[in-house]
Amino acid sequence: MPEIKLENITKHFDEGRVVAVDNISLEIKDKDYVFLLGPSGCGKTTTLRMIAGLENPTQGKVSINKKNMEGIPPEDRDMGFIFQHFEIFDHLTVWENVTFGLEVRGYEDDYIIEQATKALKLVDLYKYLDKYPSMFGNPGLQKLGIARAIATGAKILIMDEPLGSLDPKVSRVFRHQLRNLVKDLGLTAIHVTHNQSEAMAIADKIILMRAGKILQIGTPYEMYENPNSIFVANFLGEMNFLQGFVLKTLEEEKIEIWLRLGGPRLNCNNPENKFKLDDNIVVAFRCEDVYLFPKNYNFEDSKYDWSKMQFFKAKLNASRFIGETKRFYLELDNQDKFESIKSGTFEEDFNIGEELTIAIHQDDIRVFRMPEDLFNELSLT
Amino acid sequence: MNITKKYGKFKALSNISLEIKDKEYFIVLGPTGAGKTSLLKVIAGLVSPDEGEILFDGMRINEKQPGERNLGFMFENYALFPHMNIVDNISYSSRVHARNPESTQKIVQQFLMMTLLMGRDDALPKELSGGMKQRVALSRALMNLEQTKLLILDEPLKALDAGLRNSLRRELLNMAKSSILDLTVIHVTNDQREAMMVADRIALINQGKVVQVGTPHEIYYHPRNLFVAYFMSEINYFEGKCVKNSKRKGELHKISTKSDKFLKQIQEDSLLLPIDIGIDKIFTVYTDHQKFETIDDGDNILLVVRANHFKIREGNRLKDKKNAFIGLIKRRKFMGVFYRFEVLVKINNKEKRLIISIPATTEIHQKFQEGSNVTVYFPEELGIIFKHPGKDEINRIMSLV
Repeated sequence: MPEIKLENITKHFDEGRVVAVDNISLEIKDKDYVFLLGPSGCGKTTTLRMIAGLENPTQGKVSINKKNMEGIPPEDRDMGFIFQHFEIFDHLTVWENVTFGLEVRGYEDDYIIEQATKALKLVDLYKYLDKYPSMFGNPGLQKLGIARAIATGAKILIMDEPLGSLDPKVSRVFRHQLRNLVKDLGLTAIHVTHNQSEAMAIADKIILMRAGKILQIGTPYEMYENPNSIFVANFLGEMNFLQGFVLKTLEEEKIEIWLRLGGPRLNCNNPENKFKLDDNIVVAFRCEDVYLFPKNYNFEDSKYDWSKMQFFKAKLNASRFIGETKRFYLELDNQDKFESIKSGTFEEDFNIGEELTIAIHQDDIRVFRMPEDLFNELSLT
Repeated sequence: MNITKKYGKFKALSNISLEIKDKEYFIVLGPTGAGKTSLLKVIAGLVSPDEGEILFDGMRINEKQPGERNLGFMFENYALFPHMNIVDNISYSSRVHARNPESTQKIVQQFLMMTLLMGRDDALPKELSGGMKQRVALSRALMNLEQTKLLILDEPLKALDAGLRNSLRRELLNMAKSSILDLTVIHVTNDQREAMMVADRIALINQGKVVQVGTPHEIYYHPRNLFVAYFMSEINYFEGKCVKNSKRKGELHKISTKSDKFLKQIQEDSLLLPIDIGIDKIFTVYTDHQKFETIDDGDNILLVVRANHFKIREGNRLKDKKNAFIGLIKRRKFMGVFYRFEVLVKINNKEKRLIISIPATTEIHQKFQEGSNVTVYFPEELGIIFKHPGKDEINRIMSLV
């Protein structure tokens, strides 16, 4: 029953000149597949290494199963390790690569054979057990890396960019197999990556970091639907951002906003009446929440309830077919641009340059206060 | 034309022929080791082909030095001048060509803005991350364009984070398509999404050979073989038999439903092929005339259905849906734009796991949970039929080792 807890963890390097991790606290539940996600230099790998015991925190406490881990070396923390560059021994066979670590630990032969056989079968490499890893490409090498980690019987998997050396196509297939394996075995997994789509596709929970701090923790769904900042909204998927100000405050915790330079006016939610008249704001909405209609579409005839939809006009600059999706590039009168994503089989008959009616549900529009440095918030680094 | 390049016994390129049109954004796509970079080097003149001709506007250019080929290129290792700061690196060619320093300065600043590097003018390459270096190299390649009509890009976006990659892709395409520049671009990538995002046409390369050339639509909806189908998205495949002589004979259908222009074209030009994949009902799939003629009754076939071409309904709807399975949702995962489901169905009394991706909506979120019984089905125009390529070939393509 591994439960991992970090309390007020800070890590300095270079005698305090570099603060890699800045007073973070988090909890990882048993059997959760958790991601440490963020741009390079955000502190995610350092955090992982402190959990694993490969670095000691400058301040704070790491505990596993309520036991303080101070002074406990990595090999006694019930963890299997998977690395970006595999760390496979070329001069050992597939079988020897998996059994090596078990032998070093002094397990009985029967146990070693049982564990190695099970692990190699799980990753579909058992048929290669007497071969050398040089026959494999990167996917095969990483499967071997995974087999070696799970053969130890460890309940926690520690992974640093485990899919980082694979081709995009391969990694998109591999990621689902990795998640299924972790789930089938009931392991707790901590996975570091800078790749948001990988995190969204695999994670039970995402811990998003930037500059040594945690910005938000949640399920992919929570983080995607309710990001707590512009940076999180932008990092976790494609989001449109448009600038404007509060034109009116309305009843029932709503506001009317006016997009800049005479752009459209939109009614938005204003929970707890956070925004006041004249506040400068940024509205954010997901590309897939943007609905497209011909300019003169008759909404009266339809069976749907349009009362909470916000309508405005925009010009279609371009469209692209991308297989699973179609993507539409749109422009407002004020020359601000935004995008819409539809399913690849979306029925449409629009012409480039045509003016369209755009509809967005009020609940799909998020409002953020204009940050001091919007550019920095949108920088993804 | 008929290009072959060998390194020792290893054939990096094997009798490749490609025609790239003027002002085309041409993507060379393929897995690592497919021969993509070798092909670029041959075009750029950095290596000579062992066999074959390279023609530029009809003229043979095999003997021309790279500098005489009027190309702009950016290779994967960036090749920045280590002693020059960012601005000098980007504006190097402008200074060589003695262009107006003021306008050069302005353009450089535009590039810095676009690549999110402004304010870093004086940084040296060694002070930059991999992604930053890549952006500088890209800017430098693009600075050159006034002299060149052909831009060659080798994995120009590889080291970048996803968000930045998206926005730079768009900028690249805008730049290539802007009427002032009139550019032809050859861009190499191993990422099929990147290819679909920017390409006018794609050449998919594998093991030193061109597997298929076509527009994103053609490659996606009419893949030539299982490898192409598999490379472009997550797929499901089913082994079966053609049953042309069943009661449901193939016939020409006119379809009146409003649909994607390209899908409509598939329907209009195609015949319905009945197939048996080992469940009670016969499935029917649109197939073009040529393929229809070459597949005989009783032939072993492979049916491929892309994960995102399945639809999902609650409960058992076998009565009113064609090409349908009933099954149980084993796993569900929210991925942002899509939900990805793994649905267990029975075929020939054996369990099979279907991969299905459905646009994420509140309805999907509420109705379709792990453990739900569902019907999944696909439209007749979205099934893809191949002659059965043999078990070994299927394993070779699908296995990850």
